[in-house]
Amino acid sequence: MKEDVLPPIEETAGAGALAPPLPPKRSVSIFRKRVRKFKTLKRGYYSFVILLVAYAISFILPVLINNKPLIVHYHGKYYFPMVTYYPASEFGQNAFGEPNYRELKREFASRSDGDWVLMPIYPYSATESLLDLPGSPPHPPSRGHIFGTDDRARDVFVRLAYGFNVSLTFALLVLAISYVVGVFVGAMLGYFGGKLDILGQRAIEIWSSLPFLYTIIIVSSIIIPIYIPGRNLVAQPSFWLLIAILTIFDWMGITYYVRGEFYREKAKDYVGAAIAMGVSEPAIMFKHILPNALTPVVSFAPFGVVANIEALVALDFLGFGLPAPTPSWGELISQGTNYLTDWWLVFFPLAAVFVTLLLIVFIGEAVREAFDPKEYSRLR
Amino acid sequence: MTGYFIRRFLLIIPTFLGITLAVFVVMHFVPGGPVERQIMRYKMAAAMGEGGAGGGVSRGVEIPAEAIEEMKRYYGFDKPVHIRYALWLWNVLHLDLGRSYIYQDPVWDVIKSRFPISIFLGLTGFVLSYLVCVPLGVWKAVKHGSKFDFLSSFVVFLGYSVPGWALGTALLVLFGGGSFLSIFPLGGFRPDNWQYLGFFQKITAQIHYMFLPVLCYMIAEFATLTILTKNSLMENLGQDYVRTAFAKGLNEQRVIFVHALRNSLIPIATGLGHVISLILAGAFLIEKVFNIDGMGYLGYTSILQRDYPVALGILVISSLLLLIGNILSDIVYVIVDPRIRFK
Repeated sequence: MKEDVLPPIEETAGAGALAPPLPPKRSVSIFRKRVRKFKTLKRGYYSFVILLVAYAISFILPVLINNKPLIVHYHGKYYFPMVTYYPASEFGQNAFGEPNYRELKREFASRSDGDWVLMPIYPYSATESLLDLPGSPPHPPSRGHIFGTDDRARDVFVRLAYGFNVSLTFALLVLAISYVVGVFVGAMLGYFGGKLDILGQRAIEIWSSLPFLYTIIIVSSIIIPIYIPGRNLVAQPSFWLLIAILTIFDWMGITYYVRGEFYREKAKDYVGAAIAMGVSEPAIMFKHILPNALTPVVSFAPFGVVANIEALVALDFLGFGLPAPTPSWGELISQGTNYLTDWWLVFFPLAAVFVTLLLIVFIGEAVREAFDPKEYSRLR
Repeated sequence: MTGYFIRRFLLIIPTFLGITLAVFVVMHFVPGGPVERQIMRYKMAAAMGEGGAGGGVSRGVEIPAEAIEEMKRYYGFDKPVHIRYALWLWNVLHLDLGRSYIYQDPVWDVIKSRFPISIFLGLTGFVLSYLVCVPLGVWKAVKHGSKFDFLSSFVVFLGYSVPGWALGTALLVLFGGGSFLSIFPLGGFRPDNWQYLGFFQKITAQIHYMFLPVLCYMIAEFATLTILTKNSLMENLGQDYVRTAFAKGLNEQRVIFVHALRNSLIPIATGLGHVISLILAGAFLIEKVFNIDGMGYLGYTSILQRDYPVALGILVISSLLLLIGNILSDIVYVIVDPRIRFK
């Protein structure tokens, strides 16, 4: 490995006569260097920052996009409907259930007697059917609903925003779990070798010969078999079940690379030294070798996230994805294919998929450049 | 080397058994199978007969136990699962994939009728993507760092970031006569009046119907194939033998297109082995978007309708093709690169 060559620690000795003496420098770890290199790759680095900020914001979406107000001021008292449930009668309304806070706001504003409602910036929720809109759903984009509504009159923008969080969380969880499993299995095969290696590789080969999406559809279609004749909506496993199913078919990819890395690393001197010192096998594998074998894991991770998001969008599109009211990009696209005249049901979700995946691809490209650089030279 | 490939082919057998056993067991241990569906259908029919749409489906109507037994026997569900698997396997070895629950035809006939459609779509997409991507990748490598390289990278990133089938939905909205232009048909494989068309009309109609699906198919391949070609050629251009060729005084065209290009096509050629599995795998999303009645779409609908024999039959065929495709690509690898030795 090229990066193994560390700079000599007393670098400044020769040039000391010219340059002012530098404070003693700590040698920089390979990982640090790679992170520094990553930061110099502007496109990837800024994509990373943007995605990170967007993902962080997506966790406080209930405060930004919601049909419940942040604060209600009514008859001199403050209410926080996001935290507590209040019946409509609490605010002097003659209705059952939870009040429609957007109407309450209008009502208070028209009275102008000191009562007020502070709504979030975009006052609609992801699962709320806006039945009071004129005309029949899906509604085209308008000033109140910038991306229109879907076939159940739910705001498309809200569902896309929440769907961003769902998709990314889903993809990251699947990636994390399958990498833990994959790295563990790959480490075992590479470190112990022999019969275990041969058997394990055969088993992995069998498992990865299954047609990926087709098998997942078969499995998720039979987990909760509800067949609704004439409808495409069939079986929808829960969030965690779907993560489990995807992980089962997703963990093999990384094992090949980790196995190879372990195979190479275990022949190196530091492993021999560790064995000679009597370090236990698990410690050698996971404390000594693993940190040196993480290059493929890190450089494949962004593309793994891309693949997982694409798989989720495809599953949701086919109706085998997340359970029904969950905001999802694929479900919107599938609605769009049913209502081809309602272009906003296709274009906006597709744009969301595109922008998100593009950012991750940019990140992935930069990560690969920083962690696994390939130098191209040309003579002319 | 022959021994290696013989062993590879023999390994198909345990792999195939593993795959089918896993799916067979999962499929048959869960509720909602054909027997339950038939029972539900009878109950629904009975409820309809009694009082129109009134009354629940699930209560009131009782089906005699003998009838249920009869149904179980008809679908083969009266035997334990290992015997059913053995029977199924025995029939598959005799090239009998069973009978479709829905179509009441032999599975093989149902699947066979979809073959030409899938192969047509897959092969056209496959050939066209090689015809476009390889020259583009070469050009990008030769002009590395130029404006052309930069601009075409945008298309590559588009291909990376949008799944082909999803782009298909957008293309349908744009050109399928939804809200904007009405240039291409909304889907389907061929027009209804296909048999009355003349030869040239057939060609134009086929292009008209296949343009968008094939485009989507290509987008899926586009990014990886172009970048693979580019990187492969770039790597070769940095090699010593290229330096030698330049030092001999050969001109640039000859060095790039005769010396370097031949070597850099090796990893691309290995992809050719996957052609048979590519024809079927992954295309079913595109087939669904464009309502093309191919094998992938058949598999999807058979899962929806719990038509197990068809779903299993498609799994059998596509995983066999996948396994054979893997071996084929290794064989191609050996043919194009004599340095490779498999043990």
